Order: sequence, then structure tokens, then C-alpha cells
Amino acid sequence: MEVRFQDVRFLRGARCILEVPSLKFAQGRVTALLGPNGAGKSTILRLIAALERPTAGTVWLDGASASPARPTRAKVAFAFQDAVFITGTVRSNLDLALRLRDLPGEERATRIAAVAEACGIAPLLDRNAHGLSGGESQRANLARALCLQAPLTLLDEPLAGLDGPARQQLLRELPSLLRTFAATTILVTHDRDEALRLADDLVVLIEGRVRAAGVKRDVFRSPPDAETAEFLGYSVVSSLEDGLAIAPGALRIGEGDVTFDLTVEAVADLGARRELSGWIAGTRVALPLDDGAAVPGVGSVMLVSAPRTAVVRW
Amino acid sequence: MAELWDGLREAIRLILSGDSYLRDVAFRTIVVSGSATLFAMAAGVPLGYWLARGRFRGRTLLLSAVNTGMGMPPVVVGLVVWLMLVRSGPLGGLDLIYTQRAMVIAQFIIAVPLVVGFTAAAMQALPEHLPDLLAVLGAGRLRTLWLLSREANLGLLAAIMAGFGAVVSEVGASMTVGGNIQGSTRVLTTAIVTETSRGQNDRAIGLGIVLLAMAFAVNLVLTLVQQRRLR
Repeated sequence: MEVRFQDVRFLRGARCILEVPSLKFAQGRVTALLGPNGAGKSTILRLIAALERPTAGTVWLDGASASPARPTRAKVAFAFQDAVFITGTVRSNLDLALRLRDLPGEERATRIAAVAEACGIAPLLDRNAHGLSGGESQRANLARALCLQAPLTLLDEPLAGLDGPARQQLLRELPSLLRTFAATTILVTHDRDEALRLADDLVVLIEGRVRAAGVKRDVFRSPPDAETAEFLGYSVVSSLEDGLAIAPGALRIGEGDVTFDLTVEAVADLGARRELSGWIAGTRVALPLDDGAAVPGVGSVMLVSAPRTAVVRW
Repeated sequence: MAELWDGLREAIRLILSGDSYLRDVAFRTIVVSGSATLFAMAAGVPLGYWLARGRFRGRTLLLSAVNTGMGMPPVVVGLVVWLMLVRSGPLGGLDLIYTQRAMVIAQFIIAVPLVVGFTAAAMQALPEHLPDLLAVLGAGRLRTLWLLSREANLGLLAAIMAGFGAVVSEVGASMTVGGNIQGSTRVLTTAIVTETSRGQNDRAIGLGIVLLAMAFAVNLVLTLVQQRRLR
């Protein structure tokens, strides 16, 4: 399903929450809506699901405007950030979702079994949904959205609230789950790493406006402005004559395509590696320090560089 | 103290003897107050949901009005309903004054704010995204209300108990709009007033104990349901 925003504005009171003149989510792709808290990411999902009405403009779902009408809603699955359940078992929650979509009993049982197996919640199916741990809840929440096998799946922060190992595991499993159960997916995240791992396309949203949209690689390599670059993890050196930004992980000690003077601040021993931190023209940066390299003195100035392709100028 | 014991004895005698007067008055009390509570639930649950979940200007003001209404004096409600239904009043043509239906209307008005207030509180305690989830899954308005009511059943049972408790025990409104007519509009509370005014204190206390026992029985059933769901 293709989703298109046309001249969409969304106001809450007098405050403009979202202003999107034009935006397209391509069919069959996974698009990550990336932006800081309060950027309007979840509002975009709510507008698509017709849980909110745009103040102006139209949200198109395959040529039909988004509406609360049953036939339109039947094309959308939504996993909210807070995993909420009705009283009962995980199975009864999944079953209710499928019953509300008018699926017959046999089909419901087949889908529940398949999605539970894929999402790793098969042993939890007969447990009370309100008694699940944070990680189990998120998986059950995701399974409920995926079992609908809707043309459009909306995931609001699917990894929110998960701790390290559980998050990493679901992060590894999600792409294959989406390939199996979802057609077009739009997911919201404020985590760059999560977006880059899961998505084909990226939309960067800051203060209710789309700053960049397109194929992940293109958006990441050519951020249009300093704020977007900073959000994508770039080190923005704004005090130099031309504003420039260095891609995350691109800086190395020594000569290279683009060189900078780095004033050493500290060397941190992180166990497996060492990290050198310092300042380039007033911007704090960090780069790896090779095992054999001598530890530079605090306050000393050294030459560092980055490949030309990893430096963006405006 | 002796009068209380006499009253208790009278209550037991009335119950055991299958006194037709008591049966008649108690049955009417259940019918009138039960109907008023049921109508109050039918109107108050959707209203409470709307107040809890709606986003509109003046919502807080309305909630405050509902909360104020929870303490509305029954006699004032009775007076207003009487003024509306009395022959010279705007709804006098309906010929409802001094009927059980007039009593149901007055008790309905007393119970509605309680049901709305309790429902709104119960619905607000549900997870914020639950109505959105049900909407996206395709549940219509009625089904959403039904599913949410099931989720908020503890609060809704409290609403029934509060509503029924308030109307079954009120006397002012029933007396004013019902007229306390024997065999027609006399209920337990108005019967107690009548017996007291006749100096039949033991009989009045007996009826009072029956009223208390009846209210207790209804609340016991509801509480058992409520606590079973809690487990």
C-alpha cells in the first residue's frame, strides 16, 4: 500500500504540530520515521490510521483518503508504543484482533499459531496478558499487529522499553518478521541505529517538518542541514567558515582527504578498545585510538582526518 | 434501645409472616429504584465514557458539574421534577405526577451523576491507548463501549452500587413526586416516614431494617461479582 501526504497540516489548539506539504511512503518498503521526541512522528502514524484528522490537507492510502471507515481501517495494523491489552490471555487478545477483522475461527487459530511461533511468544499464549514482562509485552504487541497481515503495518517505537539483550534480539528478528507478515511498514523511532538497521527508507522529522526523505543511504549520506546531520549522528563543525559535518565513525588519526586539528581532551579505556575525545573548532568529537598508538597528552594538538565522502558541507 | 429490639422483632415478624403490605412495598421499591438505576446506567455509561475520553471545550467544567451533581439533594430534585410534572407545569400534560414513572424519573436524575462520575473515573483509569487500539482494529462505537465497559467492570459495578444505594435510600424525591399513595407509589422509605408519623416506631424500624437488608443483599451480590473479577 502506498501512503501519500498532500499539503497536510495538523494543529493542536493554535500550535502547529505537523506541516507536511508532500511525503510518500513507498509500497512494499520499510520506512523509518526518525526524529527527536516531540517531532510529530507518532502524529503521522495517527493521521494515517485516522485516529486524528488533519487540520488541512489529505492523507491518501492507495488513492483513498484515510478515514475511520471500516474498509479503510481493515487495511491498517498498528502496534502502539505502550503495549495495551484487554483482560485475558495473550491468545484471547490476538483472537479478538482477528475477530474484529471478521476472520473465521480456523483462520484465526492458524494465524495465531504462525505469528506466535515467529515472534517467540508460543509459550506465552495462555498466559495472562497483563502479567507479561516488558519484553514479552512488546513481542505480544508486535504479534497482534503482525497477525493481521495488513497491507499497511504501523509500528510506534517497537523496541521501546526493552533492555539490552532483548532489544538486540528483537532488532535482529524484526526484519524477517516484517518480510513474512507485513507488506508496507512505517515505523517510528528516535534511535538512529534502530532506523538504519530496520528500514529501507528514512524520513527525518524535526519540529513537525520533514527535513529529509528517501532511500536510507541517500538520506544518511547527504543530510540537508546541520540539525538533521546532528540527529543522524554527524559531528557538526559549525564554527568553521563553511558549515560542515563529519559522519559518525569516519574520523581517524593522521593524514587523509579532509584534515582537521584536534585538541586532545581525554583518552578513555573502554575495555575492548580505547577512545580518544577532543575538540575540532569548538565541536566535541570522539575517535578510536589504535591499541599500539601512543597516548597523546591532554591539551596537545594532533592531526585527524576523514574520507571526502564522509564529510558534508553546506 | 428497647424500640430498636422491638423494631428488629417486628422486621423478623414481617418477613416471616409474608406480610402482604411489606411484600407490596418492598417489590415496588425494587421495581422503581431498580428501573431508575438501569436507565441511569444506560444513559450514564456512554456519557461517562464521552466525558472521560472526549476532547472538547468545557469538558472539565462538565466533569465538575457531574461531580457536584453526585451530591445533589434528592428533595431538590423532587421539587424540580414536581414543578415540571405537576398539572400546571410544562410537562403536566403527560399526566405522570404521583405515579411510579414520576418516581423513576426523579430517581434517574439522582442516579445519573453518580453513574457518570464513577464511569468517567473508571474509564480514565484504563490504558490511554486502549480505545485507539480497538478503533484501529475495527471495533465500532458500540463494540468499543462494550469492550471498554468489560475492562472497567470494577468501576462500573461501583457505579451501579452507588446509583442504586442513593436512590433506594432517598425519601424526599419519592415523597414529592410520588405522593406516597398506598398501593400505588408507597416505597420502603416513604412507608417508614408514614409509620413514624403514626407513632408506629417499631413498625418503622422494622421496615428500615428490611430496607437495609435489601440494599445489603443487592450490594452483596454486586460486590461478590466485583471481587471475583478482581481475582
